Amino acid sequence: MNKITYDICIVGSGAGASPVAYTMAKAGAKVLVLEKGPWLTEKEFFKDELAISIHDAYNPKLSEEQHVIEEQYEDGDSNSFWQREKTSDSGWTWWNGNVVGGSSNFMSGYFHRLKPVDFRLKSEFGAIKGANVADWPISYEELEPYYAMVEREVGVSGRVVQHPHQEPRSTDFPYPPIAEVPMSLWIDKAAEKIGYHAVPIPRAVLSQPAMGRRSCEYSGYCSRYGCSSGAKGSGRAALLNHAVTTGNCTIKPNAKVYKIATDDTGKITGVHYYDAQGRQQSVRAKIYVVACQAVETSRLLLASKGKKFPNGLANNSGQVGKNLLFSGGGAGSGDFIYDQLNEQQVSELKVVGPFINRALQDWYQIDDNAFTGANTKGQAKGGTIDFLFHQNPIARARGTQWGLDNEGEDKLLWGEELKQSIKQEFTTYKTLRFEVFNDWLPTDDCFVALDEEVTDKWGDPVAKVRIGYHQHDLEVGEYLSVKAEKLLVALGAKNISSSVSGYPATNLMAGGCRFGDDSKTSVLDKNCRAHEVDNLYVTDGSFMPTGGSVPYTFTIYANAFRVADKIKQHWQQLYSSHLKV
Amino acid sequence: MATERTTPIGSYPLKSFFDKSYQTPLWFKEKELSKKVLSQQVSRRNLLKSAAGATGVIALPVFSLDSQAQNSLAKSKKTDPWLTLEVTLAHLLPVSATGPSSADINALAYLYQVMTVQPTSAQEKEFIVKGVGWLNSFANSKYNKTFVQLSFDEKELLLRGISRSSAGENWLNTLLNYIFEAMLTPPAYGGNPNGIGWQWLEHQGGFPLPKAGQRYFELPSRGKAKNQIAIREIEPTKESNRLVNIPLIKRTNKA
Repeated sequence: MNKITYDICIVGSGAGASPVAYTMAKAGAKVLVLEKGPWLTEKEFFKDELAISIHDAYNPKLSEEQHVIEEQYEDGDSNSFWQREKTSDSGWTWWNGNVVGGSSNFMSGYFHRLKPVDFRLKSEFGAIKGANVADWPISYEELEPYYAMVEREVGVSGRVVQHPHQEPRSTDFPYPPIAEVPMSLWIDKAAEKIGYHAVPIPRAVLSQPAMGRRSCEYSGYCSRYGCSSGAKGSGRAALLNHAVTTGNCTIKPNAKVYKIATDDTGKITGVHYYDAQGRQQSVRAKIYVVACQAVETSRLLLASKGKKFPNGLANNSGQVGKNLLFSGGGAGSGDFIYDQLNEQQVSELKVVGPFINRALQDWYQIDDNAFTGANTKGQAKGGTIDFLFHQNPIARARGTQWGLDNEGEDKLLWGEELKQSIKQEFTTYKTLRFEVFNDWLPTDDCFVALDEEVTDKWGDPVAKVRIGYHQHDLEVGEYLSVKAEKLLVALGAKNISSSVSGYPATNLMAGGCRFGDDSKTSVLDKNCRAHEVDNLYVTDGSFMPTGGSVPYTFTIYANAFRVADKIKQHWQQLYSSHLKV
Repeated sequence: MATERTTPIGSYPLKSFFDKSYQTPLWFKEKELSKKVLSQQVSRRNLLKSAAGATGVIALPVFSLDSQAQNSLAKSKKTDPWLTLEVTLAHLLPVSATGPSSADINALAYLYQVMTVQPTSAQEKEFIVKGVGWLNSFANSKYNKTFVQLSFDEKELLLRGISRSSAGENWLNTLLNYIFEAMLTPPAYGGNPNGIGWQWLEHQGGFPLPKAGQRYFELPSRGKAKNQIAIREIEPTKESNRLVNIPLIKRTNKA
């Protein structure tokens, strides 16, 4: 058996992993980070649409590593059934950035905090039939100092304004807001006119150089693009680089963990992984941390069977993989037609580089008799609406090759007709988009399991994900979309539309290893330590019993910093008991 | 001609654009070029679908261009498939005062790179090359000439003719997609010289841009598998529910 070489072994390197690596390396612990993907730096991120969206170059090929997705269908007699499909057949990738720093390299960095109500949805709104809503075992007040810590250590730029749903804050933002486009003011004015409160969006993007990182350089391509200036607060740029400089943190890229082994008593005997050459390796540590993003974390625990854990590590409750969460809601848009606007307005619309950074949270809690949602008083958890521009030109060009023939049928355009179509698409209007984020209710029909047939390129079973949703999510999403469309009307936008669906945005996932006080209904305790394994923690978004109505990354960071403090205490206890011996 | 020397195999045992057995493959659907897919709102609950519609992995021989094509594009473009492709691209994006032509955006050089440098799927490359053969066969049957020998009006009529077939429409759409890419990708990929496409469309390109050696297929590689283990196929379970033309649902992530 290998000797124990490390104090902490962390599987994964993203927003859930990097705060632990950072905190523990600074505390003097010997930390090992095992990351499946390569270790890239700022020098390997470009504003290249082919790399980011068209060929998905920062993720595995689906022929080598994939998922199996189960969707619900109806047959001709209205009987529903679950149908599985490999993502290598559908082309629907479920990877979000498999490199050191994980998907945090490719986040937009919309850093809204959760609000106090998110920690006690069941108490506030009651049970919803068909949903497994549960209160969190911690309160907003317990997490608040860690939100402030993330704002400081990862770097969040923003501005506090008072609005009806402003959550309590102990500190101001450490960095001023990043630069904004004129559209931000347009939104402020239109919102005021119709009684809405436009809120500046805090961003995990540095507005000033700090902590060895450059500030934002405003290329206009932020969104899902990797950051080449270091301004975006990825776990890699903001935390792992500092962890490594302590001399206490080793990052092992291209190391694919496939099993956490246990002995007959349930004690972890090592983490097994394939190295860059495909050789099987193993390593031992005093404390183990899993943070591979929700689906892969559940997959790893389910695959880590042992005598004490026949259904997977820490899964004698049968809860691992259950109550998986995404983000409910949808998206919409409206167009600004240049020849309906004056010269000044057109030139303001054409500004590219800075950010819109505006959100609406007026309906973070719905209190409206017209809402026919869960509770008879028209009260329900609502959500957030964010506004943005898209900048991907190839995606925009696709579609311009279609026109209508004399009979009104679709026809392919080419020649002079095509030139006019492309030119018109790019130079006569601009589209303002919005995205709706509302809670994805946990249900029995949304979970991770191991697939029984499909394996990855190393021969291990892939994750199978059932993606059922609750109808309530659509009702809330549609309620919010109508509100967002009203703002587009007030702005003078045309061609306004929106779409809400039960399809998950696969870049926004959480749950699968709930934390809670009852070991029968949760996998982790309130400190995200496995109920059944003393030295195993899960620090990505898997812990969330409900997910809130904002993107997850900020809360994953904050909770991982919170848990890192608990791990530090745990490690110091082990260390002092060792000294006593 | 290269295409004529190859025995029809794999996914394209077709003789022409008008072959009724043609089905749009996944690699094409993924490009999201279809008007119908772009505009269609599909209700997930009502959609009847089956994995039986997915054909799984078909073993295909590795695509290879003939020996001439391994040389520089300058030499290769005097012969097919490049000769016909260049003329086709020029017809799709012609020289005119209203904007750059296929030559201005280096569309052929971009496509050459797609076929010889980028890791494009063998099925797609085979389809592009086979389409050249089908186009010339069709030109020959109509006019007793090759495509490049046709007048402007004859070319237009011929391309309109093939665009009314499913395979022909997909072939033209594939070339149009590469025209878009040649117009709008970073110049390191071989098209869009000096950002000519971005300038024409008043689009601000981002920065930094990749250089040769930094393109998407040149990023650091991933860990190797112990052994390349074949992925087992899922058995179709609901054969009776199979629909021939399953629309690819547009799924998008949020910012």
